[in-house]
Amino acid sequence: MSIAGKVAIITGAGTGIGKGVAIELANRGVHVAVHYNQSDAGALHTKEQIDELGGSSFLVQADVSKKTDIERMVNSVAEKYGGIDILVNNAALQLNFDFFDYDETAFDRMFNINLKGYWQCIQAVVPYMKAKQSGRIINMSSVHSKRPTDFDAVYAMTKGGIRMLGRESAIELAHYGITVNTIEPGEIQVGKQSSRESKPILTEEEIQKYKRFSRTEREKFPVGRVGRPLDVAQLVCFLASDESEFMTGSAIRLDGGSMLI
Amino acid sequence: MSVHNQVVFITDADCASGKAIIRRFVSEGSHFILNSESGGLALWEERRLIENSGKLAIIVNIDLCSFDEVWDMLQSTEQQIGTVSVLVHNNNVVYPSTIESCDEAIFAKSIAINAKSAFICTQAAGKHMMKSQHGSIIYVSSIHAEKPTGSAFTYSIAKGAVSMLAKEAALVLGRSSIRVNSIERGPLEGDDVLFESTLTPLYDHYNYKVPNAELGTYEDLAELVLFLASDSSKYINGADIRFDGGFLLHYMNFRMKQP
Repeated sequence: MSIAGKVAIITGAGTGIGKGVAIELANRGVHVAVHYNQSDAGALHTKEQIDELGGSSFLVQADVSKKTDIERMVNSVAEKYGGIDILVNNAALQLNFDFFDYDETAFDRMFNINLKGYWQCIQAVVPYMKAKQSGRIINMSSVHSKRPTDFDAVYAMTKGGIRMLGRESAIELAHYGITVNTIEPGEIQVGKQSSRESKPILTEEEIQKYKRFSRTEREKFPVGRVGRPLDVAQLVCFLASDESEFMTGSAIRLDGGSMLI
Repeated sequence: MSVHNQVVFITDADCASGKAIIRRFVSEGSHFILNSESGGLALWEERRLIENSGKLAIIVNIDLCSFDEVWDMLQSTEQQIGTVSVLVHNNNVVYPSTIESCDEAIFAKSIAINAKSAFICTQAAGKHMMKSQHGSIIYVSSIHAEKPTGSAFTYSIAKGAVSMLAKEAALVLGRSSIRVNSIERGPLEGDDVLFESTLTPLYDHYNYKVPNAELGTYEDLAELVLFLASDSSKYINGADIRFDGGFLLHYMNFRMKQP
């Protein structure tokens, strides 16, 4: 797939899915800007793993709820690598507050990071993608953009908003050669968050374990195992490639069939 | 639950859909709490109808994004006319906005008016309804919770969020026999101007895209709101109900057969 040599920003790449995506993109020859806000140790670990693979990356800190931070981040990446080809909007917050425990401040915090942050990152990269008449934007959403969570109503609301952000951006930016697609992951097994011990991709041993298709895993996932960041990363690689140019405004559920049962 | 003698709280009562909903519920004998930006001035005719029906209407003009204001208002109106049992969130404000050029203030305003107010009103009204273990919450939303506008993305993302709110609130409040549903309102007269876009031909010949070539009315909308408020819809919960006369059924715009 033709993605080697492209430049990508992955927000929230210090932990979990973002980490796995950053490492896999770098593994395929993409220059990766590893964004983090507070997970500096995790981001450093992402970079170390990329270094081990001989990939190209650099760290960039920004609070995605602040437009000035986003602009600084995007401009610094474009300056370093001479443009931006791929944006993976992934940095998101999940507070898991009870429905009645959300106050106005917490509501705003969720919307500012999960929805406004996604939009403003898109807004900031568009000029660079327009200049090349080409770009790939991938929004990380969730199965909870359609199915409720029953544990974080506002999180699901922001994901419902991202569903429409993807569709609106897709029709607005199509004539610049920019595609916008959304990935809706189900449960993804990630390591400890925000620590040096983060395990973005399962070890071979763990993968083998899931391959044994334990009864519990089969009960939850028709394919027999939980998802892993690499599953998401592989889909990101396709959506970021030239091969996906006819695909825009799509939302792809990636859940091992778990929403079907 | 019939809506007779029930307390119905309608937000943005001043707008055309608000007025049509009031009129429909008047004939069912409901009491009203009406959030009115004009302080009731725009509702003089509806207020007269309510008065003539022998029912009560309390006009308020509060910040629907402030839990305390909504909660306090419902506490005080409870003393006067009883506990709210129907909430109709009817705020639909469309700001022309593009991904590329929209500013933060418009984004924040659109989310607050179209989505955050729905969340806060649901929290406050939901808590009141839990006391009586019954109620119905209805969001008058839009087909643009699903279909992009190509002209007002801040509106469609807000309505996408409301669609998920309906499902989440339906789960949380369902245990207290409170139902929450969302209406995806399709085109009514004038929406071609409201959603004018150079990116999508969605509203071109919009009246003919409705298969029977007849646009719906606010009165039709009010009938659906009433149905969802009453026990006739007691098994409908957490649903997005499309109200567009079949407008979105066309496979592709250019394939629409002209009448």
